[in-house]
Amino acid sequence: MNTIVILLLAFPVVFFLSLLFEGIDRKVHARMQKRIGPPIIQPFYDFIKLFNKERIVPVTASSGIFTAVPIIAATASILGAAIPLASLILETGVGGDLILVLYLLVMSSVMVMVGGSSSGNPYGAIGFSRKMTMLIAYEVPMLISIVSVSLNCNSLAYYNVVSAQIMAKLLLAFTRPSMAVAAVTFLLCIPAAADAVPFDISEAKTEIIHGSLVEYGGPYLALIKLAKAASNFALTLLAATLFFYLPALFDGYVSLGLGAVFSSLVIALIFWLLTITVPRTIFARLKIGQAFKFYWLIPLPLSILSMALSTLGL
Amino acid sequence: MKMLMTDKSDGTKEIQMDYTRLRVPFGPVHPALKEPISLRITARKEEILDVDIMLGHVHRGIEALAENRNLVQALYLVERICGICSHSHTTCFIQALEEIGEIKPSERALYLRTLIFELERMHSHLFLLGIMAYEVGFDTLFMFTWHVRENVLDLFEEITGNRVHHSMNTTGGVRWDLPPHIVGKVSASMTSIEKSVKYIYDVFQDKTVEKRLYGVGELNYSEARELCVVGPTARGSGVNMDVRRDYPYAAYGELKKGFSVVVRESADAYARTEVRILELFESINIIRTILDELPNGPISTEESVLKLMRIIPEGETVSMVEAPRGELLYFVKTNGKEGLWRLKVRTPTIPNVLGLKPMLIGCEIADIPVTVASIDPCMACANRITLVDPDKGEAKVTDVSTLRRRGRKQ
Amino acid sequence: MRVTTRSRIKSPWLFHLNTGSCAGCDIEIVAALTPRYDVERLGCILVGSPRHADVLLVTGPVTRQMLPRFIRVYEQVPEPKVVVAVGTCAASGSPFIGSQMIEGPMDKIIPVDVYVVGCPPRPEAIVRGVVTAVKSKFG
Repeated sequence: MNTIVILLLAFPVVFFLSLLFEGIDRKVHARMQKRIGPPIIQPFYDFIKLFNKERIVPVTASSGIFTAVPIIAATASILGAAIPLASLILETGVGGDLILVLYLLVMSSVMVMVGGSSSGNPYGAIGFSRKMTMLIAYEVPMLISIVSVSLNCNSLAYYNVVSAQIMAKLLLAFTRPSMAVAAVTFLLCIPAAADAVPFDISEAKTEIIHGSLVEYGGPYLALIKLAKAASNFALTLLAATLFFYLPALFDGYVSLGLGAVFSSLVIALIFWLLTITVPRTIFARLKIGQAFKFYWLIPLPLSILSMALSTLGL
Repeated sequence: MKMLMTDKSDGTKEIQMDYTRLRVPFGPVHPALKEPISLRITARKEEILDVDIMLGHVHRGIEALAENRNLVQALYLVERICGICSHSHTTCFIQALEEIGEIKPSERALYLRTLIFELERMHSHLFLLGIMAYEVGFDTLFMFTWHVRENVLDLFEEITGNRVHHSMNTTGGVRWDLPPHIVGKVSASMTSIEKSVKYIYDVFQDKTVEKRLYGVGELNYSEARELCVVGPTARGSGVNMDVRRDYPYAAYGELKKGFSVVVRESADAYARTEVRILELFESINIIRTILDELPNGPISTEESVLKLMRIIPEGETVSMVEAPRGELLYFVKTNGKEGLWRLKVRTPTIPNVLGLKPMLIGCEIADIPVTVASIDPCMACANRITLVDPDKGEAKVTDVSTLRRRGRKQ
Repeated sequence: MRVTTRSRIKSPWLFHLNTGSCAGCDIEIVAALTPRYDVERLGCILVGSPRHADVLLVTGPVTRQMLPRFIRVYEQVPEPKVVVAVGTCAASGSPFIGSQMIEGPMDKIIPVDVYVVGCPPRPEAIVRGVVTAVKSKFG
């Protein structure tokens, strides 16, 4: 009973936190460009405004898929972020929920991709093909690094990995070389999963007019933006708690309870700023061939190395 | 998908569907374009196979309107052909009128015209560098470049009163003088802009930007000569041409030793960008020389503009200047009664936009905004073409490919 | 209802449409995004697709070739929307009045909410026009 209540409460908390983090990201991005930037609660204004606009479905779109995609994407993303958060608060887990979370996050990206192609716009079709290429490029190293983590901790449950860090009183990234390599790989895959420059190729504004999002407006766009923000939040929360669970270093009240959750959120925000905001500000966008080559030359060998090292017990 | 129709030997037509080709419309309304141009692109996956260029969306009939205006009104009309290079258009027009009417502006007026000309070149090149950064997704460099550009616009406002459309020229001279305290401000601005441009040059050699600009949109020397491209687009492909050095006008005759023409051989988008960055340094040197050597004297003639307008006789002439985008050519024919028989404007973007087709074929879709921005298109300048058919009594706006076909037939 | 009104005023998304202008107004619109004027602090973003926009910023006298595209883009913007005519060309058509290639000033074709005159208007004037339009239409 308690579990279900906490899981249901996690939905609005995830909604609030992911939009808040997005606001902080936009503010920091503007300050780095010598501008003032919008107020931190700007994404809330955007969301409410978009929800109250007219609903337009283009004539060339297959309206069933077109209207269903935003709801599925948003639900999948929020669920994917709520499960780790609820797990942290309740301090329990179910076996296999790590794979479930990753599946939900991939599903939300695939849904947005499919929605773009169902709109009947040639730019949506180009966005579809680009996103498919990017999915092959970044999902493989990410999944291999998670598998190597679970090989190391002998469990596929999210909370078991976290509690392994609490027992060892060490951050997972510093326990063994294989874990350090896995942490680096996971962090390198986050900008592509978050569609941040230099890897926002599937949603390039100046090349293909927002790619998959070109025909979405009004409430559909609000839900897709929420899906993206929640997916970013889930990824950074996973990076912060799986590899760098800071409360594990301290005894006492910080190790358990809401203080631990709060400090993990702060670390997640710092990772959001480091892996999404900073690359967005200081790099130019790459072409699809160049991004694909980057992901197959650096993160993929690193992830295979981490898996090899963890099977060897290092 | 594309339909290919071929004629078979027995007279019937055969239709094949090619499902690998995708027709992508680029423009006229597109976030990468600030001005409308229509490119119909046929692509397979990400590779471009064919490009069809269609102009005409900004055609406002200026040459026809100019025939109904007197010479002073025509000057203000001509200024609004383009907002970015407006001073180039007015200088070219005024030079043509002064040649027909044999009016000699004073030395100080010529130097001031050149000063505003070089400031406009600087603002236009900084504008383009920002747009190039914006097209490759590098928002921060776009914000930085345009922040530097605001210094140049401040100088315009101090000297002439407006940021865009300065209206500095008048028949026989210029309208605003340069008091000594503004000379100091201009020098100080030049120092700070030079430092910022050095930094921008550094950032344009960053790894991610380099990957987007190297080898993109190549136009080799022979193609550049054949299509007669002008300006930095030609100088990036190795063609050594510059109207300021070859046919000097305004004060460029005396300043010849003060600047050099920048030419690069690699012929890709990066070469064209580098030519513009180095031209910024040259412009800063020219402005410093002008401020040092500014002669004293009046800035315009003693007669009023209306009196000068009346003494301009019937005549025709061709006048050329080096606008920021290349060679700008005017043919002016006055009718001796304060009006114009004919005004013909050939702007630099017209030949440059023809270069888009050899540049884009073989590139990826991601290269289209970068290539289109690297020729620095000013569509508002380029839409001057009307074909009138006297037999049928109709006038239609045509596109450049039709014109080329007609030009080859005759 | 008040929350919706406040959100609409605090986050106007702009779409810029050039119907044949000389590009003077367009560069002042883009200059409004740069650090000196920074409209993003008011919540304005320049979006790429008309379906995402609330405010349609139109420059230029409407030329004959841009007329069908202009009407089509206007219809693609979802309600509630605001139309702002930027520049003297868009407001009245001058200095191109009398040309046969101009389909007349904008308000002959679509309803306009705010006119921002100037050749070109300063970025501050454009920002003020957008804010006035949004406050009066949505507030």
